[in-house]
Amino acid sequence: MDIITLSVLLMVLLFAILGSGVWIAIGLGAVGFVALALKVSTPAGGILATSIWQASASWDLTALPMFILMGDILFRTRLAEDMFEGLAPWLQKLPGRLLHVNVVGSTIFAAVSGSSAATCATIGRISLGELKKRGYNDALSLGTLAGSGTIGLMIPPSIIMIVYAAATDQSVARLFIAGIVPGLLLAALFMGYVMVWATLNKDRMPPPEPPQTFANRLKATRRLIPVMLLIAGVIGSIYAGFASATEAAAVGVFLALILSWTTGTLTWENFSGAVLSSTKTSCMIAFILAGAAFLTTAMGFTGIPRALAEWISGFNLSQGMLLVVLTIFFILLGCFLDGISMVVLTTSIIMPLVEKAGFDLIWFGIYIVLVVEMAQITPPVGFNLYVLQSLTGRNIFQLGLYALPLFLLMILAVVLITLVPDLALWLPRTMLEAS
Amino acid sequence: QTTWDMPTPYPDGNFHTKNIREFAADVEKASSGQLKLTVHSGGSLIKHPEIKRSLRTGVAPIGEILISLHANESPVYGLDSVPFLASSYEDARKLYQAQRPALEKRLAEEGLVLLYSVAWPPQGIFAKREIKSMDDFKGLKFRTYNPGTGRIAAIAGATPVQVEVADLATAFATGRVEATITSPSTGVDAKFWDFLNYYHDTQAWLPRNMVIVNKAAYDALPDASKKALQGAAKAAEDRGWKMSQEETATRTQQLKDNKMNVVVPSPELKAGFQKIGAQIAEEWEKSAGADGKAVLEAYRK
Amino acid sequence: MRAVLDRLYAASLWLSALCILAIAVLVGLQVGGRILDALLKLVGARETGFVILSLSEFAGYLLAAASFLALAGTLKGGVHIRVTMILGMLPESVRRMVEVAGLAFAVVVSAYGTWYLGRLAYDSWRFNELSSGLVPVPLVYPQAAMALGAALLVVAFLDECLITLRRGRPSFRATEDAITLGQEG
Ligand code: NA
Ligand code: NA
Repeated sequence: MDIITLSVLLMVLLFAILGSGVWIAIGLGAVGFVALALKVSTPAGGILATSIWQASASWDLTALPMFILMGDILFRTRLAEDMFEGLAPWLQKLPGRLLHVNVVGSTIFAAVSGSSAATCATIGRISLGELKKRGYNDALSLGTLAGSGTIGLMIPPSIIMIVYAAATDQSVARLFIAGIVPGLLLAALFMGYVMVWATLNKDRMPPPEPPQTFANRLKATRRLIPVMLLIAGVIGSIYAGFASATEAAAVGVFLALILSWTTGTLTWENFSGAVLSSTKTSCMIAFILAGAAFLTTAMGFTGIPRALAEWISGFNLSQGMLLVVLTIFFILLGCFLDGISMVVLTTSIIMPLVEKAGFDLIWFGIYIVLVVEMAQITPPVGFNLYVLQSLTGRNIFQLGLYALPLFLLMILAVVLITLVPDLALWLPRTMLEAS
Repeated sequence: QTTWDMPTPYPDGNFHTKNIREFAADVEKASSGQLKLTVHSGGSLIKHPEIKRSLRTGVAPIGEILISLHANESPVYGLDSVPFLASSYEDARKLYQAQRPALEKRLAEEGLVLLYSVAWPPQGIFAKREIKSMDDFKGLKFRTYNPGTGRIAAIAGATPVQVEVADLATAFATGRVEATITSPSTGVDAKFWDFLNYYHDTQAWLPRNMVIVNKAAYDALPDASKKALQGAAKAAEDRGWKMSQEETATRTQQLKDNKMNVVVPSPELKAGFQKIGAQIAEEWEKSAGADGKAVLEAYRK
Repeated sequence: MRAVLDRLYAASLWLSALCILAIAVLVGLQVGGRILDALLKLVGARETGFVILSLSEFAGYLLAAASFLALAGTLKGGVHIRVTMILGMLPESVRRMVEVAGLAFAVVVSAYGTWYLGRLAYDSWRFNELSSGLVPVPLVYPQAAMALGAALLVVAFLDECLITLRRGRPSFRATEDAITLGQEG
């Protein structure tokens, strides 16, 4: 069977299995099995066990359950409410008001978390309930959260940057610094979108809260102190050299417990509830990651991503065209593979092209992070959508639709960093070469 | 016609990977297309710690690993990383020749066949400050990642810290780690000059990678393909050792070009290292039994 | 039988939660040690140099065990996600058949996976595979925990398959549909 027929067949099969209500991890695994059975002589069982084991026993992944546990403990304190009460008076004048909490919260949390799913899960736990309670539009609050959760990958620390740097011999430090401005750019684009939407859809926004005196505002602001201390503590633990980016997640758990204790909400019931609930959420994500890991390895054996990348390399495209074609390629691939895997599976073929076309490899790393971010919010394989489905019960296709405007803004971000490469390159150049 | 998937741990820019790509091309040519190797670099198919097991269980037929990654399983896998036992290319090659029968024997027990083995550049110490004497090691936060580096830290009185390669930059910048022992290649790849100042050219040991094959898969090959594989392996080994030496020269120069202070350890420091090395070699000999003793005797002859 | 199974799922879930907490505690101790050392250095006292050897390997293995031991309990809790959009549009009688078919499919797939995870653990035991870090950990332990968790998931899928045949709907249907913002306890 040729590669195109096989790819289409597998795609149809994946949609059919997932559509019939089979659990996502099971569906991904089954498609991986079929791919191997049709194309590869190696028995699938050994590949399955190896890929699941190496994906599951992962130190980097330990940050995910830690952050989810932290979010779950905070969810049971008054912290979420406090945060919204503290911010509300300041955001009254800004179109979109508290909807900006998703974007701003994700951007700040991105400085702690290297993963998109962890950012989405933590901020979602804190913000979604409050936004709903206050009558904000669901489609917009879910869409912005799905989109801005991905900023976790752009602002350092970032798992995908580490993967890219290792695969291409680039400096992680440089790549981390290069991500800061594009990360803030994304946040600005997303906030701009919220403002435009809110201005155009005034009737779909909740009524404004009564205006408050400056003194009252200041009083409300005091309620922001605990959450600020928490964030400062987690980020501080990294920069003071007490914890690595992965270890900082556990610091977050302890700080959340202290916070919960000082506010008197640390009961056994709350604690065990948080532990069990976060264990289940982490398990749900880990199970899908295991299924996705097997599918990825199966794809590696079938050689489909490699063949597609080779096909593109055959065209000898100019720099601009190459970028357009690669973007389409990564967007399509990103629907079916998790973002990090698709980079791992294609760099060997893509990078020589990219180097030949004269791209700066740090710049290209930022571009890759952007396309991987897009992959997080495109169904059927998109981890932010999975996190949000588990939080809201909405299905991933509907969530993908909510996130579509943000997806388009990420494409705009690709255009912007292409037109102005210094958005990515200026900061590392200034910071590292001056010293 | 047979196609073999070949998982390797290092990225495309690495000289081992470049060598393997040439090896794969040689095999295909020499076997007139009867045996084709698809190289999956950078752990993209199977991650480094799982490659050996995957070869044993037939998940993949051929692959490359760092030998000392499996030092916990058998002393024979740890010999190349005993510090200051063989610290020049000449000695490392001699050690390899002395060790090869024992290595092949152990691999055969695991159902694996050794094709070839190539050394990395010699290991040196990257640090923020210059290390002048053994006293500077006391309490130094020293990166350890396997039993060998663990022993060095323990004997020298350094504080062992575990840092993943990807986390090194942050760890150095924030002071969680103060020194690491690795090859100049890693130093250049990770652009250590962004956050470090000193490279001590200690030439502590030359770790080796090996390319191994599943025995059943190897036996199933027609004789012509076996011959092609062995011929290409021989060429890859010679080429690889040469590439490694060039790598040492160019990478060390690159460190200098990027304003890293490349220092030769003082005689006092050298003597201290030799003492540590002698102790670890003795420990190794004890753990490796009669076979180990024979290997060391053959090497020292 | 019902009580035994439910207790088994719950016990496994708690074991998983303990693994997660163990990761938090181990990492917390390591970070705490570094903070203590920084304070000691500040006052000029001798640092402890406290270090948990092979922390990252241990944490990774605990996570693998945790992820799999929780599988059955997570299924029973209706937290494993799937696309129920089309199921929701089907009439109850048809949905029941599709649900049973889906569960039966899941039994087959998870049983296949369990078998090979078991083989993985068995091979590690047979080969005496050890981790590569400072503390050599036999890989059979975390891998056996994974296989055990996967086996329990097969039981849970089978359990739900029989429940759906009998009652027309999986036991977690209510929770699965009800997960809405902030309402899950
Ligand atoms: Na981040
Ligand atoms: Na996607």
